[in-house]
Parts: sequence; structure tokens; C-alpha cells
Amino acid sequence: MPSLLVIMIFLPALAAIAMLLLDPSATATRARWVALLATIVTFFASWAVAAQYMSLPRVAIANHGPIHPQMVLRHTWLDLSQAGPAAPGVKFEFYLGLDGISVALVLLTTILSISSVLVSWTAIKDRAAEFYACLLILETGLIGVFCAFDLLLFYVFFEFTLIPLFFLVGIWGGPLRRYAAGKFFVYTLAGSLVTLLGLISLVVHVAQANPTLTTPFSIPDLAKALQDMRLVHEQSLSMTTQTTLFLMIAAGFMIKVPLIPFHTWLPLAHVEAPTAGSVLLAGVLLKLGTYGFLRLLLPMLPEACSTIGLPLIGWMASIGIIYGSFCALSQNDIKKLVAYSSVAHLGFCMLGLFALNIEGITGGVLQMINHGLSTGALFCIVGMFYERYHTRKLDELGGLATKLPLLAVAMVFTSFASIGLPGLNGFVGEFLCLAGMFRAGDGLGVVFAALGAMGVVLGAWYLLGVLQYAFFGPFKAPADDHGHSHEPITDLNTREVVALAPLLGLCLFIGLFPQPLIDLIRPDVERVATIYGDLRSTRDEPKFAASEMTRPSEALDTEARP
Amino acid sequence: MKETIQILNGTFSHLAPEAVLLASVCVIFFAAPFLVSEKGDAPAGLRHRWGWFSLLALLIAGLMWWQSPLEIKSIGPFVFDELTWYIRGLSISFGAILVLLHWNQADDARSGETHACLLAILAGVNLIAAANDLVGLFVALELVSIPTYLFLLLPRRDAPAQEATLKYFLLSIFSSAIVLFGMSYLYGATGTTNLAGIHAAFGAAHGLQNPLVTVATVLLIAGLGFRLTAVPFHFYAPDVFQGAPTSAAAMLSFVPKIVGLVALLRLLVPSAGAESAMASWSTTSAATFLLWWLAVITMFVGNLLALMQTDIRRLLAYSSVSHAGYMMVGLIVGLEHEIQKTGLTQAAPKSVSGIGAMLFYLAVYGAMTLGAFAILIAASKGNRRIQTLDDLTGLSKTKPGLALVLSIFLFSLAGLPPTAGFLGKLNLFFAAWAQGYPSSRLLAVVLAINAALGSWYYLKAIGVMFLRDPIDRSEQPSAVETPTLVAAGICLAGTLGLFFLPGWVWLPIQNIMP
Repeated sequence: MPSLLVIMIFLPALAAIAMLLLDPSATATRARWVALLATIVTFFASWAVAAQYMSLPRVAIANHGPIHPQMVLRHTWLDLSQAGPAAPGVKFEFYLGLDGISVALVLLTTILSISSVLVSWTAIKDRAAEFYACLLILETGLIGVFCAFDLLLFYVFFEFTLIPLFFLVGIWGGPLRRYAAGKFFVYTLAGSLVTLLGLISLVVHVAQANPTLTTPFSIPDLAKALQDMRLVHEQSLSMTTQTTLFLMIAAGFMIKVPLIPFHTWLPLAHVEAPTAGSVLLAGVLLKLGTYGFLRLLLPMLPEACSTIGLPLIGWMASIGIIYGSFCALSQNDIKKLVAYSSVAHLGFCMLGLFALNIEGITGGVLQMINHGLSTGALFCIVGMFYERYHTRKLDELGGLATKLPLLAVAMVFTSFASIGLPGLNGFVGEFLCLAGMFRAGDGLGVVFAALGAMGVVLGAWYLLGVLQYAFFGPFKAPADDHGHSHEPITDLNTREVVALAPLLGLCLFIGLFPQPLIDLIRPDVERVATIYGDLRSTRDEPKFAASEMTRPSEALDTEARP
Repeated sequence: MKETIQILNGTFSHLAPEAVLLASVCVIFFAAPFLVSEKGDAPAGLRHRWGWFSLLALLIAGLMWWQSPLEIKSIGPFVFDELTWYIRGLSISFGAILVLLHWNQADDARSGETHACLLAILAGVNLIAAANDLVGLFVALELVSIPTYLFLLLPRRDAPAQEATLKYFLLSIFSSAIVLFGMSYLYGATGTTNLAGIHAAFGAAHGLQNPLVTVATVLLIAGLGFRLTAVPFHFYAPDVFQGAPTSAAAMLSFVPKIVGLVALLRLLVPSAGAESAMASWSTTSAATFLLWWLAVITMFVGNLLALMQTDIRRLLAYSSVSHAGYMMVGLIVGLEHEIQKTGLTQAAPKSVSGIGAMLFYLAVYGAMTLGAFAILIAASKGNRRIQTLDDLTGLSKTKPGLALVLSIFLFSLAGLPPTAGFLGKLNLFFAAWAQGYPSSRLLAVVLAINAALGSWYYLKAIGVMFLRDPIDRSEQPSAVETPTLVAAGICLAGTLGLFFLPGWVWLPIQNIMP
């Protein structure tokens, strides 16, 4: 009996394969019901896994390395030893597990998957069985990334997500779909190959320094080994090595996030993708980049992260926030506007992560979840009125609130969440990110935080602009000039409400009660942040850092509640 | 005299798989003409009977191979070690796939001879893997190339096939001559044709600096580079792939790669017990330098030219060129490692050996490239074969199963998970990086750049199948032949199975390079 974790990961893919093999000519109706059923069952499985995880006893931080997954499953995949099976050597493993951060992101994935099946309900008529199969396979890939604790397994899932998304964008996308799919695929693949080289190089360095370590590809073991090396030698690796490794490993993640100037694939892919593709792309796929930073770079290369990473990523992220917001301001296509707003929002997330303290990293993780929920919902809404009016142009729409009150309510609510209105989730995440950054980086952090705060204002500007033009003011709808005969335009139906409700509900819930989520991720965030606390305390300002770091949870409690 | 007979007996028991194959070749060549009338009429279905006969021969050879003793033994011109065992296994199992692909490619009247040629080629590959003597090696090389000419020409004798054969014939003869020339210089420098003897001579004369040896190295690499389709010896590949029958193109995409790589291994890497030769054989440093540049140019040229192709066969030809480059990376890294290991210190024993990675990639490459050709055969419309990328347009709508399987093979060639192609490239990366020499790390970087370049044209082919509508919807899809499907199925199982359970191939490889 495979464990619930394995079932959760592979259930969607199995459903997809079964659908393709057993019933290749499935009608659209049958295909979408199967897909809906599969995503819902997966959601319950993930909920059960999360409950199992929560019921586990908490482990003290000090006993383990900076990464400590639980509910672990390990099987040898390939033993590379030269001496044969007698003397075990370096091996790749199927190493699955969960920690608080992955639990949160897995739940996000399973929830967004249900919504993306629901928003495709009527939009996808052509080759529906294949569409839902791609969607389900993509879900498996995404869950897999968050549960993989072997470097190669992580990379395998990370790369694997490209394949279904390529088909989703390329087959069911907009007019430029082929170009968009190809560009997205090759751009991200090129980046992640550099990442792969960097990861291999890191492993080789560690394996050479620790001849007894047989599992240098296991992420927790690798991080532990680096931590031990740091205890012995003051630095784990020389600064030049760390810098090179940091830049190589970060390359693929920077493209995935995306950080300025590697963002050019994103607006194109987003605009061309079908709604469900955009939802998962923005909601989860971009998080693979930030998750990669958090999972691999922050715990493993701390010196490089604090000396190179903080200024470099800080500048990229804060410029990204400003630039993304201005680009969003100047868009006429609402989908493109939301896409650029993603660039800005992920800038906040990166600022938080690279604040390298507990508030920042907590904020970064929260921001990952929040952005997934609110931008996912925004893309759903854009898809919904595109289905009705066949246009996404701001200047062709106006006063939709009078015709479609429910849709307008949802849009207003989501926009507020995305802007970061207190009481909704965006506020908690952005506040913690900026607060963390404010304390970081010897003065430079203040600059980044200030630039980020400007971004919040700009964010309010462009999103309220959309509300003002498209949803309020005099009613305006495009004439039937797009070649489609309109069905009578109606407000949200039950299916659409069901698709949006969980996302909006969670936005509100996290906004009001962020503490459960923070409690879930805190132990693992603390593990990472402790490294930087130690780093700082060994350097110049021991007292300040120590006092700040020993009681991080109390500091959080007061700050996190709006 | 008695001893000689005993030795001959012993050799025969070791050579049993090849003996079976060559005996079958003789039977076919002898019997085939009697089954065809003077006008060239043959009983219908004769080709299938010959196909079954070939499969039977391969099955018996396979059983012999499986039973063959595993101890390392060198008898006269032959050596039987783990490498021989592994390459025999590859050639026999992929040989069976090639027979299946060839099932309906030749007409009844000429099918016997083509099947015989295929078996002879496979026997030649096995003998190359077992060669321990320059003469034996050369004869085995010719045992591969001469039947290849017939195999290219016989199934289809139209103008493109003739042109392809002629091109291959002339260049192949030329390369054989170059190899022979190089071998004669090697003999001149060392005074023996026995490879163990040659390595021993290099081991004894520490740092032998003989210009003859350098010339020999360059010539041997050039001649064998032709088999590998290493740039600049690749010119024949696209034309031949384009003109030749599909099964012959499939054969050419894989078999010569084994031939070239194994021959280079036999020439450059001393077998167990003579490792001291490695450090003192000055040719190997020249060889690695030359091979390094060959590999880099091969990868770049193969991938860049593949980007421009609209003909799927030419595309696969250039892709096979670039894959030759990838495998050469493993070879070079392995050679460097062998030199350093004996010359300086024992390098970190925990990393992958480059040669091991190369041998793993060879198996994986066989499965994915033969699989891709199998789908091309399966997707052909009646008599019209798949020629250009446009012929594949909208395949996902007319034959969704084939399109899906072909895209798995193409993703594997591009090196994406979850396919064995990913694991193969990963091992090469890891081997190149873990050795820690600047030159091999540079190779790893070049390999990464090329993997990214390569993904674009494989993606283009996948895009054509999935993202476009069929050009001509009226065409009725013709039935797909079962043998082709079986072959594709085996390749698919290999491509996916070796990703999840790589140990099956990895364990024998581990024994090859101690």
C-alpha cells in the first residue's frame, strides 16, 4: 500500500493516463467530470496529508540541519559507485517528504487545480480529453516539485512541468500560441540547464570534502553537510566558489520567477495561455523559482546569499516591482496587465526571501501563497469575462458592474487582495516582506524596502484603474465585431462561483487569521533563518542579532496581526 | 599441434554467438537464391519467413551470449571481458529491433540477402568488441562496412538510394583506408599488431615520443570519426539518411556509433592489467586533445545544422551527429580520467566514470533513436514514407498514439525527464564535472549549451505534430504493421524503463571500468 503522499502526487497523472488510454475519444463532458473528480480527490488527499503532517510531533530545530522533511520515503534510484554494490557510493534517490513550506504550497496547488478545471469547463471544447490530461499531469509535476527532497528528483519534476505546459499553451492558447510556447520552453530550459550544472558542481564540491557522505544529492543531507563544514572551517566553501555556484544555480530560478531582465517570456506566455494555463502558471509555476531559491540557495550558500544575493536580487526585485508596475499601468489588455503585476508581486516575494531574516522569509512564503490565490483568481475572472465578451481590451469595456454585479464584486475583492488592503491576505505578506527587508542589508535594505513600498502604491493605481475603466463608469461592451455571436450575457453561474469562492475565501481568511499558516511554516523558516542569525552573530553585531533571533516567534506574533 | 587445436576449440566456445550469426548468414546467402525464380519472382511472404529466421538466429546467439562465461580471457586475437559482454548484449538486442524494423522494408525477392547483411553487421560489431589485434579489428570493421553497402542498396534501388549508397561506399572505403594506414604506422612504431602487446610496448618505453605514433593517432581517429559521424567526417550522414530505406537509416544512426566508440576504446584504453601503459602512451594526450575539439565541433555543427532542417530524416541525421558528440564527451572525460588516475593520484572514486556514462548513453541512445525511426516507419502512409516535417503535420489528430510515442522519443533525445535521455545526459554532465579538470568542465558547459540548442528542433517536430492541423484530412490512415509496433513498444519500454530502473544497465557497466 503506497503511502498517502505517493497517492497524492501521482493520482492526477494516473487519472490522466487512464483517461487517455481507456477512453481516448472521451467527450468533453466526460473528460471534465473525470478531471474534476481527480482534482477534488487529490485535494482531499492533500488535505489528509496535511492533517497527518500537523499531527506529527514538532522537532527541535537544533537537532537537525537547516532542512528537515518529515513523512520521508526514500528508495535508491541509481547507485553510481564504481566498486559495484559491495561498496555503496554516491547515489540518486527517490526521496519524497514534506515540510511546512511544502505542505502550504501543495495545498495551494491542489486548490488552484480544482479552480482551473472549473474555469475551463465551457472554454475548452476542442480536444478536451487531452486538455484535461495535460492539466492533471501538470498538477502531478507541480506537487512533485514541492515533495521532492533529492536534488535530481527536484530537478526532474521541475523540468517535467515544462512538457504539459508547453502543450497547454501551444495547443489551446491564443493566436501567437506556437511562438509563445516555444519561447517559454526553450528560455526556461536553457536557464535550468545552467542550474543543473551548478547543482552538480555544488554536489561535487561537497562530496569531495566529505568522502563518507554517500547521499550528497539528498537536499537535507547536503544542507547538513554544508552546515557542518561551516562549523569546522568558518566558511563552507570559498567565497569565489560560492559566488559562482550562486550565480549558476540562481540562473534557472531567476528566469522562472521571473526577475528583471529575464521576464520577457512571461507576459507572452501568460497572454497566449488558456485561462487554466495562466492560473497554474501564475499561481504555482512561478513559485517553483522562488521555492528553488528558498529550498536550495538560502540554506546552502548563506555567505553568497548575504553578500552577493542580497544586493543583486534586491536590485533586480525592486527594479522589477517598479518596472512591472509601470508596464502594468500602460497595458490595454487586462490579461497582460495581470501578467506584469505578477512580475511586481514576485518582486515582493524575492525581497522578502532575501531579507534573510525570519520576518522576511515568512513574508516571502506568505507572499507566494497570497500571490497564487489572488492572481489565480484574477486570471480566472479575466477568463470569465473574456468568455462573455471575447475581448480583454480595457478601452472596449466599461461599466460591467451594472450588467454583471457578482463578477464585479469578485473583481473588486480580488483587486483589493492583490493591492494589499489590510484585512486581506496581500497586506500580511507584503508587510512582512518589506518589514524584513527594512532591517536587512546594512542600509541597502531600506532603499529596497522604500522602492518596494512605492510599488504598493503603483499596484493600487493600475488595479483600481482597471476597476474604474472596465467595471464602473458608463456601460460599454464591444459590438459583435469579433466574429462571435454572443449568447445572452449573464452573470456568474454556480460553477464559476464555486471556482472563485475558495480562492476569495482563503484570501479573506489568511488576511484575518494569518497565524495558522505562519505556525505551519514557521519551524522550517526558522531553520533557514537561524543560519543567517549565526552568520551575523559570528561577525560584527553579536548582541543585537542574538537577542533578535532567539525570540523570533514573539516578534512575529505582534507584527503579523494587522 | 594439439595445443593449437585446443586453443581453437576454446576460442570457438567463446565466439559462439558470432559463429551462430555468421552461420545463419551463410545459410541465407546459400538458400535465398534458390527460393527466387530467374525472373525475380518470390513466393509471397518470403520476407517474413526470413525475418523469423533472423530473429531465431538472434535468439540463439542471445542465449549463447547469456550463457557465455564471464571471466576475462584473452585468446590470440580476441579478448573477452566485461566490455565485450556488454556490447554483445547491446548489438544482439538492438539487432532484434532492427530486424523488426526491416520486416517489410525489402521486397520478397531481395529480403533474404538484406537480412543476411544485417546479421553480418551485428556479428562484425561483436567481433570489434572482442578484438585484441589490429588485424582482427580491421577485419571486424570491414565485416560491418561491406554488408552495409548492400543493406543500403538492396531494399530500394531508386535513384536516391543509389546515390546514398554510392556516397557511403566511397567515403567508407576512404575511411577504411585511413584506418589501415594508421594501423600500419602503429605497427611500425611498436613492432606488434597485438593490442595488448602495443599497450605493453608503450608501458615499457616510458614516454615514447615517436612521431609515427602521433600520425597513427590522428589517422585512426579520423578514420573512426567517419563511423561516428564526427564533424568534419559527417558529410555523408544527411544525404544517406535521406535517401536510404528507413530501416537502413535507423541502422546507420546507431550501429556505426557503437563501432566507432568501441574501436576507439579498444585502441586507446588498455585492458585490465596494463594500466601503466595509459600514462606513458603519449598518444592518448594527443588523442584527447584532438577528440576534445572534434567533440565540441561535432556538437555545435550537428545541432546548429539540425535547426535548419525541414526534412525529418536529415534532422534525425544531424541529431545523430550531435549525439555522437555527446558520447564523445564521455569518452574524452573517461580517457582523461584514466590518464590522471594512473599518472597522478587515484581520483575521487565516487564519481561516475566518463566511459561508464558513455556506455550508458549508448544503450539509451539506441532505444530512443531506433524508436523514433520505428514511428517514422509506422506513420508512413501506404507507399509514401515520412520525408519532411510537413508529412508529420497534425499526426496527433490522425494517429494520436504514434504522435504521443514519437514525442516521448523526441523529448528523450532532447534530454527531458522522465525519460532515459535525461539520465544519460545527466550522467555525462556529472562525469564531466566530477573529474574536475578545466577542460572537461568546459565540455560540460558546451554540452549544456548544446542540450538547450537541441531542444529547439526536437520541439519543432513535436510542435508540428501537436500544434498544427493535418494538411490533408481525406487520407485514410493505413494500418500499422505489428512488428514495427512491437519494436516501438520495446524502445518505449527501454526509454521510460531505464529512467526509473537504470540499475539494469548500470550494473554491468560498473564492472567494465574498474
